[in-house]
Amino acid sequence: MSYVATIGEREVKVTVEELGGANYKVAIDGVEHVVDAHKVASQLWSVLYGDASFVVDVTQLPTEDFEVLIHGDCHKFTLMNEQRRAMIRAGGKGSAGKAMVTSPMPGKVVKLLVGVGQEVQADQGVIVVEAMKMENELKSALAGKVKEIFVKEGEVVESGAKLLLVE
Amino acid sequence: MFQKILIANRGEIAIRVLRACKEMGIRTVAVFSEVDRRALHTRYADEAVCIGPAPARESYLVIDKIIDAAKKSGAEAIHPGYGFLAENPLFADRCEKEKIKLIGPSAYAMRTMGSKTLARKTVQAAGVPVVPGTVEPISTEAEVVRIAKQIGFPVMLKATAGGGGKGMRLVREESELSSSLRMAKSEAKSAFSDDSVYIEKYIENPRHVEIQLLGDRHGNYVHLCERECSIQRRHQKVVEESPSVIVTPGIRAAMGKVAIEAARAVKYEGAGTCEFLVDRDRNFYFLEMNTRLQVEHPVTEMVTGIDIVKEQIRVAGGEKLSFRQEDVKQTGHAIECRVYAEDPERNFMPCPGVVTSLRIPGGPGVRDDSGMYEGFEIPIYYDPIISKLVAWGKDRTEAIARMKRALAEYVVTGVKTTIPFHIRVMNNRHFIEGNFDTNFIDKVFFKEEEARRLENEDVAMITAAIQVFTEERKRAVAQQPGEAAGPVSMWKYSTRPGIRKIG
Repeated sequence: MSYVATIGEREVKVTVEELGGANYKVAIDGVEHVVDAHKVASQLWSVLYGDASFVVDVTQLPTEDFEVLIHGDCHKFTLMNEQRRAMIRAGGKGSAGKAMVTSPMPGKVVKLLVGVGQEVQADQGVIVVEAMKMENELKSALAGKVKEIFVKEGEVVESGAKLLLVE
Repeated sequence: MFQKILIANRGEIAIRVLRACKEMGIRTVAVFSEVDRRALHTRYADEAVCIGPAPARESYLVIDKIIDAAKKSGAEAIHPGYGFLAENPLFADRCEKEKIKLIGPSAYAMRTMGSKTLARKTVQAAGVPVVPGTVEPISTEAEVVRIAKQIGFPVMLKATAGGGGKGMRLVREESELSSSLRMAKSEAKSAFSDDSVYIEKYIENPRHVEIQLLGDRHGNYVHLCERECSIQRRHQKVVEESPSVIVTPGIRAAMGKVAIEAARAVKYEGAGTCEFLVDRDRNFYFLEMNTRLQVEHPVTEMVTGIDIVKEQIRVAGGEKLSFRQEDVKQTGHAIECRVYAEDPERNFMPCPGVVTSLRIPGGPGVRDDSGMYEGFEIPIYYDPIISKLVAWGKDRTEAIARMKRALAEYVVTGVKTTIPFHIRVMNNRHFIEGNFDTNFIDKVFFKEEEARRLENEDVAMITAAIQVFTEERKRAVAQQPGEAAGPVSMWKYSTRPGIRKIG
């Protein structure tokens, strides 16, 4: 299977082929390696690559964004298989001009800074969510109008919960 | 000595105190909120009492409930840990009234040292050097202008009731004064319900060095040398060590002496800490006294061999300190990293959740004071500190090397932690050279990190690809591939620091 990882502007092609057991033949930008990869806990991998042993912590965000932790370095990239990438390229983004604010962590809605129908600027704080004694002001990346608010002040929300929608 | 002690706290500090009690053969009572039924401290204590709903103001901060739990369980003493009620003189008053011994200083000492202006006045009278500035809270803008001009810019405006960086404003010139005063007052009002502020000369690029103290009710005082706490992120300590690379035997003796004078001035009993700012020329100025155990106490324990929590309990029981000043020796070097459930990749956004896998580091010279276990759900309601990781070495070089390998061993998945951040700090050239001040993390470290090239990018991509591959395989076997992912969230977020009044 072929995958494309995107780091900033750069694209890296990664292919994975199962060899049986926990061995995989991988090629990164055409250079082949045999990798021994064991999943030792949820999202935690023990990887023998070249002559080195790595502990690799792989977090996949709700999108195709990855955050991979090795020796304290956090690598951030998107990764998807080639078909999916082709589909997205063909279909375009589709979500331009519209954005859902979701809570990046479980917490409590402390304050709504805007009301339905209100115009907001890009980077304007729209809602404050508190977790672990820290108040986090969530900002809008887009300028637009608040279309809908899904939560009330004082409400406890889960990670990823819809908070409000701006168009 | 006490037969039974109630620990009015939770998380890693509750575990730390419980450990001391167990070693002393004292029976323990934990208190827990509804959301902490499965927390480690609830399981670890000999007895446990539920004190109400999750929010701290309905449980851990309710004096009546703590007192009630102590009475019902027959605890003779209460250890408050740090945070929550630890520096609340009303709690100290109440314990005294109920004839329950609070393990800590008197309400008088808490009140005096808890008011920054009163503390300044008191220690100044005892001959302790303080940063030039006001003693009284200031109210009018004209007064602020007058004093600022008198002591010279830059100046710092600070909330009288403050802590944790809230209600603090740096003012570099006169034109910024009035808006800064307004903001400091408004922040102080909302954080502490008290908008009084005072003004101090701003010491440029200071280091933060503090002295650990112990006192008993028989008038004996000792200091346990210094801790260096200059590695701070937004005025919050994140890495501490002992000894400090800038403290000479002469400075140590001088700081220790004035810290003891400050303690004596309020007849201090138990463990406390005098914090100092040290300027470029190694002049030191009293900052404040913390009338409780500190988060960073383990580094002192590691280099002195003294169990500070046990000493607290003994002196609270009326005993004399078990050692004298000349018995206190610093051996080797210790470093502590505060591990928070925060995401260093997202501006240290709090990251509560379930710990899905956990591996605690071990081996020579490593100590992990934590309050979690695999499967534990870190609640959203409390401070994000989940562990204090401490490494001891024969010298600073070995301590750093041990800390680095201990951090590399430490695995926490399910929640993001500050472990990767600490690995980077331990690898930083300026940190290794001991060349830093309290602005180092915010002003230097993050800039250097941005410019740094990451290693093992290929391994990262390959592993991610293998994970996706195995998941696609699993899904293909189970059923059809899942529906397309929803629109990409276009929301950014930023964090503003809250109040975290510990440490």
